[in-house]
Amino acid sequence: MAETREDEATSTQRTAAVGRQRKQIPALYFTIALLVVVGFAFYLGNRNFLSLYNINTITSFAAVLLMVSLGQMCTILIGGIDLSVGGLISFVSVVFVVTIGRFGQWTYPLCILLGGFFGYLNGNLLTRIKIPSFIGTLGMGGILVSLAYLVSARPVNVPSATYKNLNLVNGELFGVGNVLWIGLIVLALFYVLLRFTASGRNVFYVGSNIKMSWMSGIDITKTRNFAFVLSGVGAAIAGVMVSSVRFGGDPSVGEPYILNSIAAVVVGGTALTGGTGGVLNTLFGALLLSALANGMNVVGIDIYFQQTILGLMIIISVVLTFDRSKTPIIK
Amino acid sequence: MSEMHNDQPEAATLRLRGITKSYPGVVALDSVDFAVRANEIVGLVGENGAGKSTLMKVLIGLVQPDQGTIALRGERIVVKDPATAIKYGIGMVFQDGTLIPNLSIIDNLFLCHEQVFQRFGILSRRSMRSEAARVLAQVKVRDDLDTEVSEVTPAVRQMVEIARLLWLSELYRQSNPILILDEPTTVLNDAERDTLFDILDDIKQHASVVLISHRLQEIVEHSDRIVILKDGRNVTEMQASSADLAEIEQLMVGHTLSANRYHENEQTSPREEKVLRVTNLSKHGHFDAINFEVRKGEIVSLVGLVGSGKEELCRCITGLDKADTGNIHFDGLKLPAGAPSTAVAVGIGHVPIDRRNEGLALGMGVDENINLLVLKRLRVAGFISVRRERDNARRWIDECKIKTPSMTTMCGTLSGGNQQKIVISKWLSSQVKMLVLDHPTRGVDVGAKDEIFRLIRQLAREGIGMIIMCDTLEEDIGLSNRMLIMKDGRLVTEVDCSPDKKPSPRDVIGAIV
Repeated sequence: MAETREDEATSTQRTAAVGRQRKQIPALYFTIALLVVVGFAFYLGNRNFLSLYNINTITSFAAVLLMVSLGQMCTILIGGIDLSVGGLISFVSVVFVVTIGRFGQWTYPLCILLGGFFGYLNGNLLTRIKIPSFIGTLGMGGILVSLAYLVSARPVNVPSATYKNLNLVNGELFGVGNVLWIGLIVLALFYVLLRFTASGRNVFYVGSNIKMSWMSGIDITKTRNFAFVLSGVGAAIAGVMVSSVRFGGDPSVGEPYILNSIAAVVVGGTALTGGTGGVLNTLFGALLLSALANGMNVVGIDIYFQQTILGLMIIISVVLTFDRSKTPIIK
Repeated sequence: MSEMHNDQPEAATLRLRGITKSYPGVVALDSVDFAVRANEIVGLVGENGAGKSTLMKVLIGLVQPDQGTIALRGERIVVKDPATAIKYGIGMVFQDGTLIPNLSIIDNLFLCHEQVFQRFGILSRRSMRSEAARVLAQVKVRDDLDTEVSEVTPAVRQMVEIARLLWLSELYRQSNPILILDEPTTVLNDAERDTLFDILDDIKQHASVVLISHRLQEIVEHSDRIVILKDGRNVTEMQASSADLAEIEQLMVGHTLSANRYHENEQTSPREEKVLRVTNLSKHGHFDAINFEVRKGEIVSLVGLVGSGKEELCRCITGLDKADTGNIHFDGLKLPAGAPSTAVAVGIGHVPIDRRNEGLALGMGVDENINLLVLKRLRVAGFISVRRERDNARRWIDECKIKTPSMTTMCGTLSGGNQQKIVISKWLSSQVKMLVLDHPTRGVDVGAKDEIFRLIRQLAREGIGMIIMCDTLEEDIGLSNRMLIMKDGRLVTEVDCSPDKKPSPRDVIGAIV
């Protein structure tokens, strides 16, 4: 029958097309390759770039960025964005310093709860009041910055009498700073959550096709709220870490993390359209950005020129990692 | 196909030859010929999926054919987009309209071509108004030119679109424009429909019209020539004056089918226990006082035209919509209304018509799509087990014969048939008790269709109740145990379809239209 033969013909064509798309190398490998190239280039510029001391500096910086970025990634995976992380980090940073004298170790869980709470509010702005997260979190970010200044209009230091309360972050274990340990533990938690629990998996389904998810009985309200709670928690952890490392809170400390966290997520290969990406992508995205920021200082690139290079690198890595053929419409 | 060429081809204004277009896994058009002559109305008919819309999209440049040529008055043309098409005087009025609702009639009429009314860089509102009045008079629109399009009736909207196409062809100096009307009468009442055909008769004096409609009566009455497509191929064409309604139906459905196409010999009788009981269900404006039951292992097909209310009824059963009154009992329990999650939880699955947007996460793997509903069951000690996940995916890929390069291949890269099998296997793995299958074979090639039919039979044997809506009446009859026919929101009749008593499509069509 002519008809079946033609069907076969088209199906072979199709398999060929599939084969071509399958050849696509995962975005993660590009990010890792870029990290290696950038690292080697900086090493050539200054041998100290790969010294143990400097690697420790880079990874400590990356650990803080990673906390925000992992949360940010969850909101991007569901197809949203969280622009309130900057405000939240600032707010948590001053609240942490102001309250650590009174509550001691209890300040840690308190701050993280606070982050989760504001994340939950963000989620509800999207899911119940139906405001796009771009606008909802922008507003929430403004509120949080304002709250941060109300708590303390100027940078505030941790009284030296209570420095020991900061040991959870500033201490070290087996010769490695606790900042790194916290980073690794939170990374593992996010990995397990997104990879091995139904709630985490639902984040991907909702981001990939929200209508299908709803029709398949996934609670899309809960799932999206969950993503924003994770973002709030991530930002709060970052806020606590920043304050501990600096022995002080600052109502403007969070601002750069808004763009940096989005950049880390996207550079890692998580698509802004939602649904694809993952924890390891974001890990390498955060490492790459941190290595760049540090390396440019180490090799002595003009401070005013650094932003240009950073911007270029973000564009280059997105060009490499993001499969533009699949998204004809760039949002 | 030989009938195509025996009357003078030079009379054709527009001629499409050997148009072929295939999509992954489906040949939508297979070497189709189509001609439009000056001053005629051509009726284009065929079942859903016969290729009518694709052919028209080729004509206006929305779809580029893989093969074939288009010639206008003997000269070969390339239509790369609708803007090019209208320069050749070819335009289409779509079913859902392309006017901009928040602009006025006059603004829509001249949209993007206002520069012809420009004098010294300023638009002359006065000459625009007089031109609009002249153009709209051709289509008998007497509404205020400044009314927003969103405030006028669908009939007026349609007329404004027709007027716009006529005006544009005039602008490009095309003497015999070709208007394509896709199901123009579905949104019209009887009086409006008569007006439409009066106007088309007027327009015919200086234009040609291609009319697509599922109301065959209209086509026979109002067109000059009828072209019939089936499965993306030409069947035949005939003069409308000599056409017979029943004959056209027969040709549309075709009679080349094998006797056991729908695996009728595997059809089983339903079990005694009822799985679904719908009592007195009503939704204002859609359907009224519907009562029916589905038994275990029974395939019930819902049949009716667009607007009969069958789609809305299914949406209420699957929890996507909420009925106004009445009850749905499932497995003996009353189903709380209005949430797909509750329907899914009790075991009602839904294979939606729009597979790509409603059935699958296209950017995710085959395994992830199959496992979506059963993640909780794949857990070991609270965490999803990678091994169980893989086993479950593998099992259903085998069971439903899903052809995929690997388990993690992105669903978006597979053919329609394989995608549909993934949607079905997703529900099967969650052990549904009932499935609502909304056009399960839409956009699926012949081979995969057969596998889906086989799968449906197997499900029935396993005792899953099914409500099914098919692309063709023949498929409905072939697959189902029982047909429920809906018309204007009511259940009008029930037709037994046991294997030995299958009615022919012609027996039931009367009850549907």
